[in-house]
Amino acid sequence: MNQNNFTSLRQLKKVFFDERTTRGFISFLSDRAKVIAPCKKGENSYSFEYIQNPDEVVFDYPRTIQPLKKFFLPPRETLFNFNTRENSFSEPDIESEDRIFFGVHAYELQGLLRLDHCFEEGHPEYNYLRRRENTLFIGISYTPDDWHFSRSVGIEIEKLEGFCLYFEPLDSGFLVFIVNEAGKNLVELFGKGAEIDNDENFALVEKNFRVKIKFHHNRLPQVFENVYYSKVWEEISRKCLGCGTCNLLCPTCYCFDVRDEIELDATTGKRERFWDGCMLNSFALVAGGENFRDPLSSRTRHRLHRKFKYLADSAGDLFCVGCGRCSKYCPAKINIIDIINDLIGDFAGQQKRVLI
Amino acid sequence: MEVETIVTEKKELYTPTISEIVAVETLTETEKLFEIALPGGEMLNHKPGQFVEVSIFGFGEAPISICSSPTDLPTFKLTVRRVGRLTAGMHRLKEGDRLGIRGPFGNGFDVEAFKGRDVLFVAGGIGLAPLKSLIDYTLAKRDEFRRVIIVYGTKNPAEILFKQDIEIWQQDRDIEFHMTVDRADAGWQGNTGVITTLIPGLNLDAPETAVAVVGPPVMYKFVLMSLKSKRIPDENIFMSLERRMKCGVGKCGHCQINSVYVCQCGPVFNYPFVRSLEEAI
Repeated sequence: MNQNNFTSLRQLKKVFFDERTTRGFISFLSDRAKVIAPCKKGENSYSFEYIQNPDEVVFDYPRTIQPLKKFFLPPRETLFNFNTRENSFSEPDIESEDRIFFGVHAYELQGLLRLDHCFEEGHPEYNYLRRRENTLFIGISYTPDDWHFSRSVGIEIEKLEGFCLYFEPLDSGFLVFIVNEAGKNLVELFGKGAEIDNDENFALVEKNFRVKIKFHHNRLPQVFENVYYSKVWEEISRKCLGCGTCNLLCPTCYCFDVRDEIELDATTGKRERFWDGCMLNSFALVAGGENFRDPLSSRTRHRLHRKFKYLADSAGDLFCVGCGRCSKYCPAKINIIDIINDLIGDFAGQQKRVLI
Repeated sequence: MEVETIVTEKKELYTPTISEIVAVETLTETEKLFEIALPGGEMLNHKPGQFVEVSIFGFGEAPISICSSPTDLPTFKLTVRRVGRLTAGMHRLKEGDRLGIRGPFGNGFDVEAFKGRDVLFVAGGIGLAPLKSLIDYTLAKRDEFRRVIIVYGTKNPAEILFKQDIEIWQQDRDIEFHMTVDRADAGWQGNTGVITTLIPGLNLDAPETAVAVVGPPVMYKFVLMSLKSKRIPDENIFMSLERRMKCGVGKCGHCQINSVYVCQCGPVFNYPFVRSLEEAI
């Protein structure tokens, strides 16, 4: 399995870093740019943070709580500051600083690449794209846990797209695969680490990634086209709390709302953009009182149709990257894998009826 | 750092143009008509059926349909019902006050689909406001259209908009104007009943009649059924759908109907397309 990515990985140039060299490398990166990497947050939770010290970086982690989107689409952001008396406004500068993201999983970067599509197409959005300038991504391999299913949505562990370097852990350190010129430059400048011959043999073992979705990912848009009236939506809505946690944690959810905040002087203030979620009841509510997506079942259906149908049709890729966050952190313990499999069951049932 | 990087061109997506209110007219207890001028005599260059995002600093921003025709230069007009925070703020503004404008947004009506045909306007309540941009356009270029039929319904006589225009429409022999109210009051002389009661009596050349419908969500289903029984082909029917078009540029997600961003593909839709959108009506 994993033939393509795994084979292409084997063909790349690589060096070996032991753990100390790896931390030295992070230190080297920190001299050149701001470095963002997974750090320990709680007992069993991790978070992408700006690092001060290479020792903070965690190499082996299942997933961070938040995806990378917060670095490009901040949870709250000032669009402009205004003055009501003068009817004037001024936009804050968005600085484009050099940033290197270290220790990123493939599904994570795939999520970000999908966001890129949404902010580039139609009317390109400066705020997001400006923050995307001058960023490098260094990937790392991971061991899938019960919640991951990125393989089932077409994203292999070793998917290299977007990375400049890719770290594969060995017992004593990392094989560092050089993916592109930027990565090569970094490794050459760093100048440490043992170069490794391509025909040398390593214990490069493919990780076990159980297939969790019953259909091939290519068929999922077709499934979603046929399950709009499925009873599954109603079943989920009996458990769902409509809290929007899945929206907040999803790497490809980017809907937002805009609100004015005014200071106590009643003159100055700011127009802020902040994350919103289609699972929240007020999302499609208009001022006259009409709510165009009121039932919880229709909100769940909309959210998942966006991931597996609407955006998939327009962008060409599924907009679920299989990170498993929405399921792992769902307070109602709703598992997206179960939903998809139930929908597939429904779809397969329809097909059978047609055949009879 | 030498990297391949995304090059970003700065385009103002979210910043408004500060514009001036040149006139305010009270239409009803809840609706006011604002005439607005962009700075430096600039034209809005809109199409009938498009909308703008109106903002007042401190109150926020909301989408409002343009109710004047693009032939009516150099200003544009908005009919605003006081329903939320921003519209309440707008109702306090006077001539000479300023507000922010972004847009125009959306597709607007395809006027070519109406030219050379009989034109039927069906307006329910405040739906007359967005439709008026097309009605005024049609009347300004009267020769390019055949019959002009306006059907208008409101809940009660107090909610009737554009009374002066209506008087003119009633007297103009080139316009067939029909009106009804759901509930009459003591002084009401005209028709009583929902808007669909006016449609069966119309004498229409169905294949050659283009219809523009705008009204509250509940109205569409019934109006469409009435039009169907008049044998109007679906592809002759255009409607403008209300949604929460927060950003106007296809990003924020609030106005989405299934896969469609209303602010990009709408708010005006041809009926056969609406039929393919489960959530639309």
